[in-house]
Amino acid sequence: MRRVLSSLIDGKGFDILLVSLTMIFLAALAGTPLVYNVMMSFQEVDMFNLGTFSRPVVGLDNYAAVVAQPEFGLIIRNTAIFVFGSIAGQFSIGFALAIFFMAKFPFASTIRGLFLVSWVMPGLVVGALWGFILAGDFGVLNAILQGIGLTDGTMFWKSDPNLSIWAVTIANIWLGLAFNMMLLSVGLAGIPNDLYEAAELDGANGLQRFATITLPMMRSTIGAVLALGLIYTLQQFDLFPAITEGGPANSSNVAQYWAWQWSFLLFDFAKGATVSVMMLIFVLVASIVYVWSTRHEVRG
Amino acid sequence: MRLNKINLLAGVAVAALAMTGAGFAQDDPVTITVWSIDGANQPGPSDTFSAEFNELDNGINIEYRVLQFDEIVNETLRAFATGNAPDIVSLDNPDFALFSSRGAFLDITDMAAESDIINPDAYFEGPLNSVMWDGKLYGVGKYTDTIGIFYNKDMFAEAGIENPPQTWAEFEEYARKLVNPDAGVYGATISARGNEEGTFQFLPVIQMSGGSYENVNTEGAREWLSMIKGMIDDGILSQDVLSMGQWDSTGTFNAGNAAMAISGPWEIDRMVEDAQFDWGVTLLPTFEEGGQRSSALGGFNLGIMSTTEHPEEAFQVLEYFVAQDNRLFPEFGNLPARGDVELPLSGIARKDAALEVFQEQLKYAQPRGPHPEWQKISKAIYDAEQAALTGQMTPDEALSQAQATIDGILN
Repeated sequence: MRRVLSSLIDGKGFDILLVSLTMIFLAALAGTPLVYNVMMSFQEVDMFNLGTFSRPVVGLDNYAAVVAQPEFGLIIRNTAIFVFGSIAGQFSIGFALAIFFMAKFPFASTIRGLFLVSWVMPGLVVGALWGFILAGDFGVLNAILQGIGLTDGTMFWKSDPNLSIWAVTIANIWLGLAFNMMLLSVGLAGIPNDLYEAAELDGANGLQRFATITLPMMRSTIGAVLALGLIYTLQQFDLFPAITEGGPANSSNVAQYWAWQWSFLLFDFAKGATVSVMMLIFVLVASIVYVWSTRHEVRG
Repeated sequence: MRLNKINLLAGVAVAALAMTGAGFAQDDPVTITVWSIDGANQPGPSDTFSAEFNELDNGINIEYRVLQFDEIVNETLRAFATGNAPDIVSLDNPDFALFSSRGAFLDITDMAAESDIINPDAYFEGPLNSVMWDGKLYGVGKYTDTIGIFYNKDMFAEAGIENPPQTWAEFEEYARKLVNPDAGVYGATISARGNEEGTFQFLPVIQMSGGSYENVNTEGAREWLSMIKGMIDDGILSQDVLSMGQWDSTGTFNAGNAAMAISGPWEIDRMVEDAQFDWGVTLLPTFEEGGQRSSALGGFNLGIMSTTEHPEEAFQVLEYFVAQDNRLFPEFGNLPARGDVELPLSGIARKDAALEVFQEQLKYAQPRGPHPEWQKISKAIYDAEQAALTGQMTPDEALSQAQATIDGILN
């Protein structure tokens, strides 16, 4: 009895206690909804059997129906543009800014802090803001583009099917920029300065120092930032209802907004679940990359 | 042993409390919960009438809850699924059949037949159809609206056009005359947004060309889409009609940036304030002179949920609401859904003239549906409109695809 107690306070028992607590927490708050969601994707669910568990099982019918939708291909393409466009934009601009702010100039860290404003703003507010900026006839962006003579005509960012997905992507790049910059700044700060000094003495130029010191030393940070970027981008929802509503004609619709439309606009909860299960597979891949790239951070 | 005693005591105490609770409940007034979107931004009919009803102190107490427009269907669904549904709920008319077709609303056919206040025959055909399912009455129209064409009389006079357009051909001809890109003026504005608003404005076109929501690929609808697409391409209409809702679209008309606007009576009060020009309203054009008319039917319905424990008291509340219909227009600017209510003039000439046109237009208004899967049908219709207007598909391809989707839902 005493031994069990002492092992609970200090020893293997304590470890098991900690692990089981977190596992119970995960299973209850993440596992159950996840399993429930997967289950729903194999059933026929409408508002009147939403409250019960006994629902007709339809096997893979929901998956077949979702894939057979005429807009399916377009939505996959848009999701790819949105995810890769957002990540590429957020990461490259964020990295450039992070390196820029590593230079020692007055108020560097204060100004860097101000960049976080975009990150703390709610997505719906950011969406409404960009909605005004991107408006066609009276939009700020068009006024600027016409003012500096880049274009004569009016760019209908929200209504032109060739532009609409890019409109949301631009807004999302702005939204996620600060987060990328901060994480990358932390990584940059962790690289010992003497490495750069030694390389400089050996005659390495700026580009060589970046390619042979910064990039290799930042490998795990970059992996983590990209994986988190993928997850956050696939989660990004608020911008869509606020800017384009997925339109016109689904030209800016993405998987996460589509899933919402199925469930809460068309009240076909099973198809909504089906789309989100499909997305889950992609997020799972990203999570594996994330766990893999941060494996060095766990010690002991 | 001691534990058991305590448990027993606690049990007795709880039972005693429950019994006194039950005793009180018999003397308590019956509580009827009412859900509606009225009162979210400004006082509306349902919240005002509920408060007044409670002052009557007649043994029935209304517990009123305001919900947002976007939430009310979802919230009612959730409440119904978990057995906490309100007694009375007010829904947008195309959403009503989702509930009535599945028995979620109480059949009030017999109650209405005995009622001195609720008389189904007095209602306009459109609003009445939207609360009927399978020949039975499941609710009453709370208020209604429809769409017509607002036009800028000053611009018409300047361009030498005497009368507002009566056919779609005239609509295009006039819009092309009235457009003035240098002054930032479009010939017209509509809402072809990718949501219910798009269907709201496009379905009347299908209907007046001989179609219906069951049969969307009409020659007239194809012509109309080609015409609007051509007008967008030529800059007669802003491309933003594809993303603007009716409120924003009409805003550009009020600001003098569009010579005509398709919209409804909910705009009148704002237009009286904002528009710095002379304006008027005319009926939605037809394809040929004297051709078949149609328009959209908007507005909310009231229904009693079938899970209510007090159907009779809930019906009394409904009767009280309906008895106030003559106050809808003067106090809230809403049009009653029935024809036997006298609308007093406001004394504002343009407003009164507009009201007259919209009341005429209401005679041609047709409900969307009713169908339990209306939301899916509606999406097929506005998706087709958007696909055609953006040039992703020809009007025929877009409408054929919509027809295939709709056939899949109907059969």
